[in-house]
Amino acid sequence: MTVALDEAASEAARPQTKRKARGPSDARRGLTLMSPVFGYALLLLAIPLGATIAMSFWSQDFLTFDRSGTLENYAAIWTDDMPDHWTGIFGSYWTENLYRALLLRSLSVSLFVTAATLLLAFPIAYYVSFHVRKNKGLWIFLITIPFWTSYLLRVFLWKVILGYEGVVNASLMALGVIDEPLTSINYSINAVVLTLAHAWAPFAILPIFVSLEKIDRSLLEAAEDLGDGPIRRFFRVTLPLAMPGVVAAALIVFIPTIGDYVTPKLLGGKDGLMISNMIEVQFKKGNDQPLGSALAVSSMMIVASISVLFVWMNRKYLRARPS
Amino acid sequence: MSGETGTHSKGTGLRVYAFAYLLFLYAPVALLPIFAFNDSQIIAFPLSGFTDRWFGELWEAEPLHESLMNSLFVGITSSVLATLLGICAARASTRYEFPGKKPMMGFVMLPLVLPEIIVGVAMINIIVQLGMDLSLWTVILGHVLICTPFAIAILSAAFASLDRSLEEASLDLGETRMGTFLRVTLPLVMPGIVSSLLICFTISLDEFIIAFFLTGADTTLPVYIWGQLRFPGRLPSVFALGTLMLLASLLLLTLGEYFRRRSARKTGIEHTAGGLV
Amino acid sequence: MAAPIITLEKVEKRFGDVVALGGVSGEIRAGEFFSLLGPSGCGKTTLLRCIAGFEDPTSGAIILDGKHMEGVPANHRPTNMVFQSYAIFPHLSVAENVGYGLKKQRISRAERAQRVEEALAMVDLAGYGHRASHALSGGQRQRVALARALVMRPKVLLLDEPLSALDKKLREQMQVELRRLQRAVGITFILVTHDQEEALTMSDRIAVMFGGQIAQLDTPQNLYRRPMSRQVASFIGFMNFLDAEIRADGGHSIDLDVAALGRVEVPSSQRPGKPNGRKVSVGIRPEMLTILMTDSETAEREIEAEVVDAAYYGDMTYYDVRFPGVAEPAQISMRNTAGRRILEAGDRARVGWSSESIVVLD
Repeated sequence: MTVALDEAASEAARPQTKRKARGPSDARRGLTLMSPVFGYALLLLAIPLGATIAMSFWSQDFLTFDRSGTLENYAAIWTDDMPDHWTGIFGSYWTENLYRALLLRSLSVSLFVTAATLLLAFPIAYYVSFHVRKNKGLWIFLITIPFWTSYLLRVFLWKVILGYEGVVNASLMALGVIDEPLTSINYSINAVVLTLAHAWAPFAILPIFVSLEKIDRSLLEAAEDLGDGPIRRFFRVTLPLAMPGVVAAALIVFIPTIGDYVTPKLLGGKDGLMISNMIEVQFKKGNDQPLGSALAVSSMMIVASISVLFVWMNRKYLRARPS
Repeated sequence: MSGETGTHSKGTGLRVYAFAYLLFLYAPVALLPIFAFNDSQIIAFPLSGFTDRWFGELWEAEPLHESLMNSLFVGITSSVLATLLGICAARASTRYEFPGKKPMMGFVMLPLVLPEIIVGVAMINIIVQLGMDLSLWTVILGHVLICTPFAIAILSAAFASLDRSLEEASLDLGETRMGTFLRVTLPLVMPGIVSSLLICFTISLDEFIIAFFLTGADTTLPVYIWGQLRFPGRLPSVFALGTLMLLASLLLLTLGEYFRRRSARKTGIEHTAGGLV
Repeated sequence: MAAPIITLEKVEKRFGDVVALGGVSGEIRAGEFFSLLGPSGCGKTTLLRCIAGFEDPTSGAIILDGKHMEGVPANHRPTNMVFQSYAIFPHLSVAENVGYGLKKQRISRAERAQRVEEALAMVDLAGYGHRASHALSGGQRQRVALARALVMRPKVLLLDEPLSALDKKLREQMQVELRRLQRAVGITFILVTHDQEEALTMSDRIAVMFGGQIAQLDTPQNLYRRPMSRQVASFIGFMNFLDAEIRADGGHSIDLDVAALGRVEVPSSQRPGKPNGRKVSVGIRPEMLTILMTDSETAEREIEAEVVDAAYYGDMTYYDVRFPGVAEPAQISMRNTAGRRILEAGDRARVGWSSESIVVLD
């Protein structure tokens, strides 16, 4: 209520202080400036997305499309019935629905990666913000340098480290710790999660760092002054105030990882593949664009709903806080 | 700063963790130059001596040179186009009120929250339907789409930090709107424009999945590297290439920071108008 | 009397539902130092920006030097502005800032340089041309902004709270300098300010604004001595108010019955606002009431009062005194001359006043 009143008051004061001149000519200027960008996004995003959604209701037989609407593709993805026409590109030993399994695996991998990345990143952001005094800029620079390497090579280098004859296995064998190369660390979901948590680290650290930097240090002193120990103070003041950065970091990591293609392809082995690999197969080798489109639309829906959930939880959390 | 607030004791534990984390961040990248100079086709320890022949091989790889030129062309074109679009949108959003502003801005920022594979799939669908040929230009179309939101974000910060009365002062002194934009606005948001160009160029240069979907006979550098990863014999020279690329981007980054600081010193504006970090 | 350089005709400006200017009319004379005075949100800055051409009035007309300004953009108006933030271009040197507007005009490079140097000399910044503008102090920035506007030789110079960012001492110094400068160049100055003291000391005439309207347009002396409403009276300085009733209105003078003070006859000129009705209030300034310390001190009229509070300020003492039958204490300011006693709360006091110092208000 008080917020609404304040807003109304500042609204009334605006002409004097903020002096927003908003004649019809201003609206026209704004729209003119906006039109190239908006037109571009309309042409190259809205129409292609629309076409993809439309295509997900089609079916394909070699090079001809059947454009009468069908739910066949979605049925193939979400029901237990196995579609007849897919063959064992991914191995015919699958007994459950492969598409659904890949979608759910992508979701769980990306959620897991998000959680792992945030947990690993938060202490670093906290350390740089609260304990580094002089060289904050240098630390941030050091954190970002590795990520100016090609993404493909960064991922591939983890294969060099974790591979069957990779750095880890070779070193452990040379030290006599193990007799045979470990297989659990390569070509598996673990390898995918580790690699992705590395690949997205700075994108998690930076937003958290920024939100920690914004915290007025006197608030922490006030909490201490009012009797909070370091741990209570962290959970009652620091963490809540850093929450916007944490949520931003979560979205920044979650959204691209669910659609990641390179990491599962290079490090996932047979059991670690994700939905992007299947989408690519459908578009290139499998030659079933409608099914590929349906897979893309399904993963888009998952991304959208989880993202909305993140944002909604954050809003609810912020609103619940006494202001 | 925080020493006074009584958290100093926790510092040491965090410090150890911080250095361990840096080690984790640098571990893969550190291998890049090591194997680039290692005298063996096999990427494994122990190392077998120093060589620079992998760098020599890069000189002779014609397809590599071609894909590098392609990537530079795509990167420069995409970053210039995305930055031009970004200037329009950032200007519109920071200066003007118009109907539908919020949904329009939200929509053009959408590629920021879409997995890149979705953008790739959506664009290839429409390109196939329209019967267009895949080429570097289709890659550029995709890259402009994903770079524009970054350009808008950087440039909006630059335009927003510009005191509006500076532009009014220029008009008041008899300058036209166009002249005001050229003589006042543009010089003052220049650091933001340079940042936007650099960021968009970097994104385009490193982007793989959209290029993988939309590229025709001419490949970009990441698509070329992806092809090379399948051949173990090519790996050392790919690593040599990666080392050179890392050095090049660090050089670019340092240059960008240098120019930003120089212009900040010149105008006395600190930390405004959208620096790189 | 000089011809008007600016005529405002029912100038109205709305921002959506908010009325910033509710039909403002008035004339500003050529060569005068004119102030727009009012609290924040009263529309004074909006009016200034309408004159400059940064805002278009919703209705009404602004006539500047005989020409209608409707549709004339800011860059084609013979006005120049000194902005509240000074708006010094940070990427240009002092001379480039001052010469910014001249570059548009067809003037030779040599003449341009000469005019810039003249303008800088006028604001005591001769020789500062090559300096980087961001290295200047607040006062110097303000001078650069002045020189940059004056070099354009505008018909009207607009100043949007130009002194509010300066500290007290510098502000007082700049007030004197601005006034001197205005006399020297002879250009019409329009100053927007919320500081009544600033407006009183600098202006030839002042328009006091409340809620998008001009409440009174007058000389500083008239505004202070003969305010037209209680609102103007209490915005400019301090005013004690007492209830009163008009007994007779004789044309040349008014016969009043004032609470506590009794029957008074005041000249008609002391009723500038022409309030209607018999129930009015009268105002009297704190310095127009005198505490009579000795029997030898006398006044035209006297009244017994009780001191409620005394605040000692060194050069002055401010008393709150209660008149018999009036709940609200009145304020009296007394200069602390040699040997004059300071009263304390609870003391009785003889208060002297004169009927001339009374102003009749709504």
